[in-house]
Amino acid sequence: MASCRRLSGAGLREVLGSAQGLLFDCDGVLWAGERAVPGAPELLERLRRSGKAALFVSNNSRRSVAELERRFSRLGFRGVRAEHVFSSALCSALFLRQRLLGGGGGNGGGRVFVLGGEGLRGEVRDAGLRLAGEGEPAPGAAEPVRAVLVGYDDQFTFAKLAQACGYLRDPQCLLVATDPDPWHPLSDGQRTPGEPAPPPLLPRGGTGSLTAAVETASGRKALVVGKPNTYMFDCIVERFGVDPSRTLMVGDRLETDILFGKNCGLSTILTLTGVSRLEEAQAYMASDSAAAKDLVPNYYVDSIADLIPGLDE
Amino acid sequence: MAAMAAGGPRRCRRLEAEAARAVLGAADTLLFDCDGVLWRGEAAVGGAAAALGRLAAAGKRLCYVTNNSSRTRAAYTEKLRRLGFPPAEPRHVFGSAYCAARYLRQALPPGAAAYVLGSPALAAELEAVGVPHLGPGPAALPGPAPADWAQAPLDPAVRAVLVGFDEHFSYAKLCQALRYLLRGGPDCLLVGTNRDHRLPLEGGTAIPGTGCLVKAVETAAQREAFIVGKPNRYMFDCVVSEFNIDPARTIMVGDRLDTDILMGNSCGLTTLLTLTGVTTLDEVKGHQESDCPARQSLVPDYYVDSIADLLPALGD
Repeated sequence: MASCRRLSGAGLREVLGSAQGLLFDCDGVLWAGERAVPGAPELLERLRRSGKAALFVSNNSRRSVAELERRFSRLGFRGVRAEHVFSSALCSALFLRQRLLGGGGGNGGGRVFVLGGEGLRGEVRDAGLRLAGEGEPAPGAAEPVRAVLVGYDDQFTFAKLAQACGYLRDPQCLLVATDPDPWHPLSDGQRTPGEPAPPPLLPRGGTGSLTAAVETASGRKALVVGKPNTYMFDCIVERFGVDPSRTLMVGDRLETDILFGKNCGLSTILTLTGVSRLEEAQAYMASDSAAAKDLVPNYYVDSIADLIPGLDE
Repeated sequence: MAAMAAGGPRRCRRLEAEAARAVLGAADTLLFDCDGVLWRGEAAVGGAAAALGRLAAAGKRLCYVTNNSSRTRAAYTEKLRRLGFPPAEPRHVFGSAYCAARYLRQALPPGAAAYVLGSPALAAELEAVGVPHLGPGPAALPGPAPADWAQAPLDPAVRAVLVGFDEHFSYAKLCQALRYLLRGGPDCLLVGTNRDHRLPLEGGTAIPGTGCLVKAVETAAQREAFIVGKPNRYMFDCVVSEFNIDPARTIMVGDRLDTDILMGNSCGLTTLLTLTGVTTLDEVKGHQESDCPARQSLVPDYYVDSIADLLPALGD
């Protein structure tokens, strides 16, 4: 079982020395709101110089990877390209492309009804899929809707919920969700371990709660693309061929990032600049339940800047 | 009452002839679900009004217990009158909107308000019992984007979030509800009118029910709501507080196993399923044959194809 040890000193050099690459969650790890975590851009630069790969895996389904690339740059991170970024929006589009267009399907694939913003819709279009518009004629009149995709949708309404349920009456229509995140507060500054959290400005996230509404109305369970499920890792392996035994997963949420690492066979590092507290990890470690133990990280750091000393000068 | 052997499994027997006369004769009160029992949409179930007329003439107390949160009690009494049912007063009608308002009046400190995701009817019932409230209708936002919504004011008096059927439900309103719940923590109540996941419409289609909206708020807030409606017993408690009810002499008549029949069974009532609504006999048989105690508690004592089938037992 993982033992949640602070990663520093000789242990840190050993762990980083043998790693070929690192997967990073973004929110709460690299940045919080509009501010980069101090030292994070330098860490990525040092990884680059050490010849270690840095890839990014985020449950946030709001932005396209092109937008994320610009965000990296704006927040001071150099050299991150869209192809390095695996968002749940991108991976959901890839998943749907595989299921609707892959395998020699000759029926044109059908359309996708997307509950989400322009970032998510763009990824679905870029994957070669057609979107069902809003205010469309009754289901069945046009080309069939073959999938309902639930993501971050700040324009979600009862009417869209009803429309999604209409499409889902067809048992052939897939129900897919970009991520399971129920909600978490948006905060302006980063967390300092040991200090109380800054007061939440506005909750964000919420795909999980919208998905719950659609599941309840339709009586169906959604296929969830995002962490802790492993599909996003499959996308990474397909594009870059990483070796799980030489790759580290770095995240701030035990229930998504750390469990994702465990599910994919990666060693995991919890950083304390985001959502999860060290006490929570320790509580999971003390628990009798096997499921709880899967949420315990191998290592933790106060911030990813603490990884810098583990790299060669 | 020869309704059921204490502790034995319920048998879902067809209620007719001698058994019907005995069961109805031994009852003082009948509680009726409405949709799928008395009417479907605007069309009364044939013979239902006549059956209720005879029950009323025989001195039975008739009450109406519905999870629908979109109508006031006054609107229900008007609909009963319009469709030819025996005259009823609002005090005989227990809708989830009215019962949610009662619950909040009793659970909230004086002057505390509720943020409501719900219909004008729900607002009207809160008004009628004197619970201050805000929220029904489209979200009133200071701007189009989530960043603007952080500026939307939070009313300091709000100590509860109430979720009912809300055709104006939106992400913005979900945000606002969550802000109140996060601000208040356990001191802010989370109440839902009911968990029905589908609202059947005439013609066989259905729209998402209140249960979906309750689930969205619960998931976001990572906590469970107090649910007023069937199958929970709060609405039955409201009936008991209004009338002198003896569960052993009370029949619950409904068309849904997981709301009407489950509540009736849990409260020690005699339960009667009518097949004019959403449930088929096959479903009941599936539960009867199951080993699972939870499924067994969905089985009614009796069934009829329609409550009109009670007419012969009510003849003079």
